[in-house]
Amino acid sequence: MKEEISEGRKKLEEELRHLIGNIFVPEAKVFGMVCGCVGFAADLRGLQYDDVDVFREKISAILEEISKSVGVEPEFVYARKLPGSEEVVTLTVRELCERCKKEFAGSKASPRPDIVVLKKNV
Amino acid sequence: MVPHPGHFSALKEIIEAKEEEGLEEVEEVFMGGSPEVMGSGRGVLHAPLIEEIREQTEYAHQHGIKMDIAMNSTCLGGHHLTFEGYKMFKWYFSELNKAGVDGVIVAEPYLVELLRDFPMKTIVSVLSYVDAPQRAKFFEDLGADVITVDTNINRHFPLLRAIVKAVNCDVRVIVNEGCLYRCPFRYFHYNLASHLSSLNQPRSPLFAPDYYFDKCINIRLRNPTQIIKSAWIRPEDVKEYEAIGIKSFKLSGRTKTVNWIIECMKAYAHRSFKGNLLELLDCPQMLRFMFYVDNEKLEGSIEQWKNCKKICNECGYCDKLTQEVLTSIK
Repeated sequence: MKEEISEGRKKLEEELRHLIGNIFVPEAKVFGMVCGCVGFAADLRGLQYDDVDVFREKISAILEEISKSVGVEPEFVYARKLPGSEEVVTLTVRELCERCKKEFAGSKASPRPDIVVLKKNV
Repeated sequence: MVPHPGHFSALKEIIEAKEEEGLEEVEEVFMGGSPEVMGSGRGVLHAPLIEEIREQTEYAHQHGIKMDIAMNSTCLGGHHLTFEGYKMFKWYFSELNKAGVDGVIVAEPYLVELLRDFPMKTIVSVLSYVDAPQRAKFFEDLGADVITVDTNINRHFPLLRAIVKAVNCDVRVIVNEGCLYRCPFRYFHYNLASHLSSLNQPRSPLFAPDYYFDKCINIRLRNPTQIIKSAWIRPEDVKEYEAIGIKSFKLSGRTKTVNWIIECMKAYAHRSFKGNLLELLDCPQMLRFMFYVDNEKLEGSIEQWKNCKKICNECGYCDKLTQEVLTSIK
C-alpha cells in the first residue's frame, strides 16, 4: 500500500504537469471517515478550476486509476476549491457510505459550492 | 428561513424540494455575500458577484421566495468607520438593493443604521447577541425590521416573551444551532470566523486555526450533558414559541450540503422528526457520529426548560435527561 500511495502521488503530479503545467502535489493519502466512507485524496498547489473543467475527463480517469490501485472504489470523484476562489486545493476519490450516497452525493447540485463534482458512479 | 450554500444549482434544488413537498412555511432563503466586502459568521464557500445575486434573487422571487444576504461579521477591524469603508458598504448595499435582495443580515450596529437608507429589510443577526428587551429595543431604534435573538436565550421563555412585548419588529429564533449554552468561546470564535471568511486575514498562518471548535467538541465528549443543554429547538416544540408570539424561525447551516439542508427543512416544516436529533443540528455536525439523541424521548422536556431558572448546579434535570435520551454510538 505504501508504494501505491507514493506512486499515485507521483503519477498524479506528472500527469497534471503534462496536461497543465507547473502543478505541485505535496501530499497524497488514503483515508477512512467516521461515517464509513473511504478514499484517496491529493493536496495540490497550482491547479485552478478552469484547468479542472477543461481536463475533467482526463483528471477523473487518472484519479480513478490511482484509487483502484490503493483499493478504493472510485464512486465519487471531486475537486475542492479554496472557498471563494478558483484555486483547486484537493482532488478526492471516495467510496461512499450509505449516508453519504444520499447526503453528500445524492443531490443534483454539487453538495457544496466549493466542491466540483468530476464523476459520480453511484 | 432556510440556509442556501450559495451556488445557483443548490437554490434550485432547495426550491424544488420545497415545492414538491408543499412546504408553505418556507418563505425566505439566505446566503453569504462577497468576502471582498466583508466576512461573516460562517465560512464563505461561495463568493457571489452582484450579477449572480441578482439572477438568483430573480429566480427565488419567481418561486415566491425572498432572498436575504448574510453580512454578519462581528469584527470589521474598524474599516466600516473609515471613509473608504463607509463608501464601500454604502455602494454594496445599494447594489444589493438594485439586485432585488429582500433583506440584509448584519450584526454591526453601524451597518444596521446605514441600512435605514435602503428599502431592504434590516435583519439583526444572532451575532448581535440580543438577549434582553433593552438590547432588542436599542436595535429596533437603530432600524431593525427583524431581530434574531441570541440563541443563549432560546429556552428563557420569560425573556423571549418580554422581548416580543418590547418591540414592534419581528422576533426570530434559530432552531437548530448546537453551540454550547453560554459558550465562553462564542464571541472570540465568531470574531475569528469573521476575519478568516474575509480578505482581512491574520498576517501569519494560524498554528491552531480551530482552537475554539476543538475545545467545543472536547468539552462535549467529556460531558455529553452539554449537548442537551444547548439551545436547539425540536421541530415538535416550535409551536411553543408561536404561542408566545414568535412567528419567524431560522434554520442554520449554510456551509452544509444541499441534501442535509433539504432534510432539515422538511423536518422543521413538518414539525416532526424521528431519529437522532443531532442529525438536524448545524454546528457541530460531527457529534452525530458519536452520540444518538432520541428525539422522541425528548417529548415534554420543553415544559421543564420553559420554566427553568438555569441554575444548573442546583437543578440536575439535564443530567438526568441525558442519561435517558443520549447513547454513545458504538
